[in-house]
Amino acid sequence: MRRRRYDAGVNMLRDRRRLSLLLLVGLLLALTGIWVWRLYLPKVVLGPQQTVQTINPKVGIHTRLTDEVEEWKIKRTLEMVREMGAPWSVEYFPWAYIEEAPGRYNWVHADQVVAHANRQGVTLIARLGFVPAWARPKDTTPLYLDEARFADFGRFAAKFAERYRGKVSYVILWNEPNLALEWGYAAPDAAKYTALLRAAYPLIKAVAPEVHVLAGALAPTLAPPGSEFGVNDLVFLQAMYDAGAAAYFDILAIHAYGWHFEPDSPPDPEVVNFRRSELLRDIMVKNGDAATPAIITEGGWNDHPRWTRAVRPAQRIVYTLRAYDIALQEWPWLDALCLWVFRFPWDQNSYQDYFTFVRTDFEPKPIYTEVQRYTHELAR
Amino acid sequence: MRYRWRWMAAGAALVASIAGIAWLLFADQSVSLLPFLRRDATWQAVQQRGVWRVGLDPSFPPFELLDATGAAVGYDVALAQALAETWGVHAEIVAVGFDSLPDTLKAGRIDSIMSAYPYDERLTQDFLFSTPYFDAGLRIAVPVGSTIRTLSDLTGQRVGVEWGSVGDMVGRRLQREGVEMNVSPFETPDELIAALLEDRSLDAIFIDNVSLRQAQAVGQPLAAIDAPLESIPYVIVMPRRATELRNQVETSLQLLRARGDLANLENRWFGHQANKEGAP
Repeated sequence: MRRRRYDAGVNMLRDRRRLSLLLLVGLLLALTGIWVWRLYLPKVVLGPQQTVQTINPKVGIHTRLTDEVEEWKIKRTLEMVREMGAPWSVEYFPWAYIEEAPGRYNWVHADQVVAHANRQGVTLIARLGFVPAWARPKDTTPLYLDEARFADFGRFAAKFAERYRGKVSYVILWNEPNLALEWGYAAPDAAKYTALLRAAYPLIKAVAPEVHVLAGALAPTLAPPGSEFGVNDLVFLQAMYDAGAAAYFDILAIHAYGWHFEPDSPPDPEVVNFRRSELLRDIMVKNGDAATPAIITEGGWNDHPRWTRAVRPAQRIVYTLRAYDIALQEWPWLDALCLWVFRFPWDQNSYQDYFTFVRTDFEPKPIYTEVQRYTHELAR
Repeated sequence: MRYRWRWMAAGAALVASIAGIAWLLFADQSVSLLPFLRRDATWQAVQQRGVWRVGLDPSFPPFELLDATGAAVGYDVALAQALAETWGVHAEIVAVGFDSLPDTLKAGRIDSIMSAYPYDERLTQDFLFSTPYFDAGLRIAVPVGSTIRTLSDLTGQRVGVEWGSVGDMVGRRLQREGVEMNVSPFETPDELIAALLEDRSLDAIFIDNVSLRQAQAVGQPLAAIDAPLESIPYVIVMPRRATELRNQVETSLQLLRARGDLANLENRWFGHQANKEGAP
């Protein structure tokens, strides 16, 4: 009798243990389910479709969301771009971040940027570059690319154009190809860059013929002949035409920094200023390419207190508003003027911080407010 | 008895683990628990060669600039020399572009950076920083003798800012936050100061501390009040493992401060007015 009670007690305990174990396993599964559900739950809503209100449809800005990991900040950036009255934004989509291994793509971040830009009514110009480790020799920088790999880059660009068809209609191929730095310290060569365009352009057009391919994005530089650092941008553009580049781009991307010159400072081959863009345009016309438009994808003024190429903050505001006016009133061949740079994800602690329009915490700088007033016809 | 060796092994493993964790915790700290295992190669090299190599970009007066002979001079140069003197070595100034300073330090071509260099928390993985020796941030400045003493006194007052500057941004922010002051923009710091001191069309101005000190240096009767509205602390940057050099820098900065040498340097490069008006 005692033995039977003992056995019953043991069984009951065992049942309780089993029950407890089952409950714990159930709880664990439920928590895991909630965790997975939350993982895939959209954290930031896109919000209603917006449109940009502006008196100047050429106003643009270069956003820098590449290293912005928080989606709400991506959204806030593009909201503020819209609120500033800028219908255009240039954004960098590094190849290395997206095609982590050959044919294996991670579009998560790019999807977020494209979705939020579209929802804010901001037209994206996608800059493509930055070579993944698998596409370049060991011990080279992410800007190095052998000609043998141009087709890989072209395939990536085409994949990008195909994925975002109807959402991104402008892509820039490479950046500042007239600088050695931008080729991983290999000598800049217009013929080599043209070969890159020749490799990528038809691949993009094959999947998305309506996408506009931008080329150039040359660094304005007075580098002397034979310089190890770069090639004069005017010389490089002519060399591109000589190499047959005209057939492989739809829009010329221009970088137009004013340094310490006012925007009406006249163009001069010996000076880097805002109207140097007109010299690039002259080269286009001279080469029978007048029908091809241009977009300024970088440029503007800096108001750092110590940088030798900077201007005073008030000058920066006046020059910036004048530059947007020049783009609208005087340069019919220019589709947009996208200045450098809206915001960085973190402080650079250098003169670069003084190119921005808002702080890292999204506090608008006076230049942001003044451009906003300008685009809404409230300029002083 | 037969388990004794197991207990001994377990005890030894425990002691080794504790030592390992202690090493991980304290090996990179300025105060090492195991000083005999740590050595500061930078400080040793400074002592051996009798030279402290200080990198700076001589393009930012009055902190660093080139004189008529092409030699680097300025507040930072003088401070570097004063610090080196306390260690019995010579400060050698190495001119480096501002953006290249961190890489130059990382490459070991200089021992420290002293170039009106703002503290950067993102670089603490690579470098050590001294305590700030100057704050270049945004100040509220008033004419000497003004009754305005604090930010809250600005309610209803006329405040000038340089259009587009950090002062302008902060002025707009304070207004958004409800500070009822009348903010007027001016295109240059000179116009701003003239409106305050000559035209008397302003009661206070927001101005960066470097511009303020420079104005004071030429005898403008300006006084800084209240705490900085924005702080930009300038620090000395050293290699991550130069813990002894950092300790020496801290000790010497305290010594120079206590002796009044830092104040003398400020007087020399920013003028007497700064200290008289009590700006830190």
